[in-house]
Amino acid sequence: MIRQLTNWFRRRKLEGGLDRELRYHLDRRVSDLEKSGLTIDEARRQASLELGGVAQIQEEVRDVWLTQWLRDFAYDLRFSARSFLRTPSFTITAVVSMMLGIGATTAIYSLVDQVLLHALPVREPARLVLVDSTKGQQVADGFGSWNLMSYPICRDLDAQKQFFEGAFCRALTDVNLSTGADYHPATAEIVSGNYFSLLGVGPALGRVLTQQDDGVPNANPVAVISYGFWKTQLGGAADVLGRKLIVNMHSFVVVGVAASTFRGIDVGEVPSVWVPVSMSDEVIPGYTDLRHSSTRWMQVLGRLNEGVTLKQAQVGLQPWFKAMLKENMHQAGFPKITPEQMQEYLHSSLTLTAAPQGHSSLRRILVQPLWVLFAATTVLLGLACLNVSGLFLARGSARDREIGTRLALGASRGRLGRQFLADSLLIALTGGVLGAALAPLAVRALIAFLPKNTAANALHAGVDTRLLLFAFGVSVIAGVLSGLAPAWQSGRRSLVLQQRGGTAFGGVRLRKAIVTAQIALTLTLVVGATLFVRTLDALMTKGPGFVTSSLVSFTLASSRNGYSNTDGSRLIRRIDEAIRNSPITQVSAVAGFPLLTGGSWNNPMTIQAGKRIITDRPVNLNAVTPGFFRTMGIQILAGRNFDERDARPSGEMGFRSAIVNESFVKRFLDGRNPLGLGIGMGSGPDVKTNIEIVGVMSDFSYRGLRDESEQVFVPFLEAGSGNATFYVRVRGTPESAFQTLRTIARNADPRLPVMGLRTLDEQVSRSLNTEHMLATLSGGFSLLALVLSVVGLYGVMSFVVTRRTREIGIRLALGADRWSAIWMVLRDALLMILAGIGIGLPVVWFLGKLIVSQLYEVKPFDPTVITMATLVLGTAGLSAALVPAHRASGVNPTESLRAE
Amino acid sequence: MPSSRFPIPQGTLDMLILQIVSLEPAHGYGIAQRLEQISRSVVQVNQGSLYPALHRLEQKQWLRAEWRESETGREAKFYSLTAAGRKQLVVEKDSWARLACAVQLIFGEGNR
Repeated sequence: MIRQLTNWFRRRKLEGGLDRELRYHLDRRVSDLEKSGLTIDEARRQASLELGGVAQIQEEVRDVWLTQWLRDFAYDLRFSARSFLRTPSFTITAVVSMMLGIGATTAIYSLVDQVLLHALPVREPARLVLVDSTKGQQVADGFGSWNLMSYPICRDLDAQKQFFEGAFCRALTDVNLSTGADYHPATAEIVSGNYFSLLGVGPALGRVLTQQDDGVPNANPVAVISYGFWKTQLGGAADVLGRKLIVNMHSFVVVGVAASTFRGIDVGEVPSVWVPVSMSDEVIPGYTDLRHSSTRWMQVLGRLNEGVTLKQAQVGLQPWFKAMLKENMHQAGFPKITPEQMQEYLHSSLTLTAAPQGHSSLRRILVQPLWVLFAATTVLLGLACLNVSGLFLARGSARDREIGTRLALGASRGRLGRQFLADSLLIALTGGVLGAALAPLAVRALIAFLPKNTAANALHAGVDTRLLLFAFGVSVIAGVLSGLAPAWQSGRRSLVLQQRGGTAFGGVRLRKAIVTAQIALTLTLVVGATLFVRTLDALMTKGPGFVTSSLVSFTLASSRNGYSNTDGSRLIRRIDEAIRNSPITQVSAVAGFPLLTGGSWNNPMTIQAGKRIITDRPVNLNAVTPGFFRTMGIQILAGRNFDERDARPSGEMGFRSAIVNESFVKRFLDGRNPLGLGIGMGSGPDVKTNIEIVGVMSDFSYRGLRDESEQVFVPFLEAGSGNATFYVRVRGTPESAFQTLRTIARNADPRLPVMGLRTLDEQVSRSLNTEHMLATLSGGFSLLALVLSVVGLYGVMSFVVTRRTREIGIRLALGADRWSAIWMVLRDALLMILAGIGIGLPVVWFLGKLIVSQLYEVKPFDPTVITMATLVLGTAGLSAALVPAHRASGVNPTESLRAE
Repeated sequence: MPSSRFPIPQGTLDMLILQIVSLEPAHGYGIAQRLEQISRSVVQVNQGSLYPALHRLEQKQWLRAEWRESETGREAKFYSLTAAGRKQLVVEKDSWARLACAVQLIFGEGNR
């Protein structure tokens, strides 16, 4: 078969060879015959008589080369192409259907592949596992995103050589980075010394980090820069090795550029620079001793030994893990915990997950939305296939006579079926080519929806081999699927009926089935889209709980510029004052942590309310200046705002007062009056509850708009932090205020990068990126689906009316009224719609469960949504049927009878 | 062409070609000549069916072909036997012998 396929491509050469071979034969025969005494003409005649027809031999030999089947198929394709060119409107409709289906599927798949499926470009990624533990182990403090572990655990795991070739750890952090001139915020990845060697990633230039770099703390200020950073920020300078790099005001030496294909192990966040853990004090200012303490801040990944399975390693490592838990308990600095916490702590276990794609927060956010969208495009593609099937069936009936003639001339049914398959494959492949050509545009549009700026850098919109293969595979499948029904139908065609004048009616039943299936599929898409639109709408209506108009914010991290906490907080106060006195400012305030970023400062808390209450989940915390609530438009519902009473006397530690939100009161205090109660941070038995609740504020969004968390706010001025987010309600347009704010910050310290300067309106819409994406795309898909199935329904009903014109004519002649004709058509359409909905609803019910976590304030099987979707579908379907129905009512009995 | 010659039995042409080529590489015309000679004009080979058979055998990789100068000095396509072809020839000869033997037996039975 393969041989024959390759023969197809070198058939010109083969033909030439055969020609020469046959000519040689003839010439030799002629000359031999001449020698035996014949005249040249006689010899020629004799020779060609003996050989038989040259054309026939050529045909037979061609059959050998290509097999009959393949050759005929090639002819079929040519025939299809020719007949498609004769019916451009049909062809365009079918190709566009396929193009939309395949293009959409390919575009979404591109993201699915990049974000979810693509293995890291490292040595044997299949052997990488992510190490984590069940919740109880997490008595220690942590910061970072997910799957957090401590550095000592990583070190210990690296020694477990019976399971691991090695284990490495890494943490992403933002730094203030400079190559000499400007200072920019950048992403750095702090990695253990064995990171590069275990991943099997080499340098493009210089060297990568090694164990030696990760030795003596603070002694190895070396950095490896990413290929992208080298090219874009340093112009790909050849003498980059040995150059100075300023990281948080500390001088580092560039020792290498990482391989061009390597972009870290997080698909959503591409680091500009890698530094060893030995330098973590410099890279994460404010923390000392991260290497030794049991603070959880890094992700740990291991490379399994050859032949060791994930299960074996997970089971085999438990004894070590349990022993480590026990040992840690006896170490200095282990937090005091209650007996229940102890139980949970000792019962926690180590978990390993396969991590050939690395570790990514972006993936965590997108895994569900992307699969949902991929499923939606698959449904859309299915619809497109059905649509093309329907079109072919309709065309098949228009071609009745041609097909009848071919049957009568002896074409086999298989042969005709194959012709239909060639038709649909050609359509699908053409659609596929166009779809794949459009995919990069679509992918670019999709990336714009994605939650993070970094995603735009990390993902690409190009078409690679994998994607082309996918598009090709999908096209072939779509072609075969959409050709099945017509091919099958052609197999059932009756020759006798054809010749009697084409009253064959079989195609209609199949076409009705197709339309019914289309309606069922459309229902799932329409319901899905309605759910996502309702979700987005509900979130937008709810809003963040504070007034966003004219509100802007930006973040400064003075600790990354070498400021101590005292100096840093002094700097922040100075800037705060400058902003408050600026003419652009209506009102402004400072918060320790930015809102709407997805993250928060959080801690379990202890409340003294008669008895000690330990919060059953972490409370979100923030530190704010007194002006915060007025700036944000947040109500103080009871008690008071922060003021000078909250200042603590020198020598005293911690906060004196706190303001809690309504949810906090509701969840932990059953609505009791919280004013005057004492609270403390942490959940251990030694936690002092000496922070007094002085006020209650209204609820608002902290992490994101879905967030309905319990919050406790403390006075910023007592936090003594040099990192802050400024919230400013400005006069005039925000854009004009941006410049003033930048100037104020630059005047305070020109080397301090202003981060995330945006309006709050933009921040709100950014935090709804995923919801926007789901609502927009699923809405678009369902609209397309609606169009496809309405067109399908219209097509079938028109056909039915045409076919039954005579019957309708007779009925009308016998006294039936016009309405009965209309009803006859509408009843048919209604049956299809109802059947489609009947099939679709259970599917919707089943699929709905899978998307619950993406929804907000709407249930997956929400009756209103279902009713709405059904109504939309029903109305659209019936209106499509009205046109042919009207035509049916207009049938002239006399003419219709005469026509036959 | 009326004659006492009978048409070649179906399926035996391939075997005969393999046999001829096993002696020495030959081109199509040469094989046709050889077929005529060897069968002493008893068997009638339709020359037209020779070429499809040659190409079929080449496709099956029992024959390999190359262009080289023939005895007349002109380039001709010469076929020669491959290792697989040699194996196949043995198989075919063997099964032919068995068939002939069986047919003989049956005829012998009838005569008794």
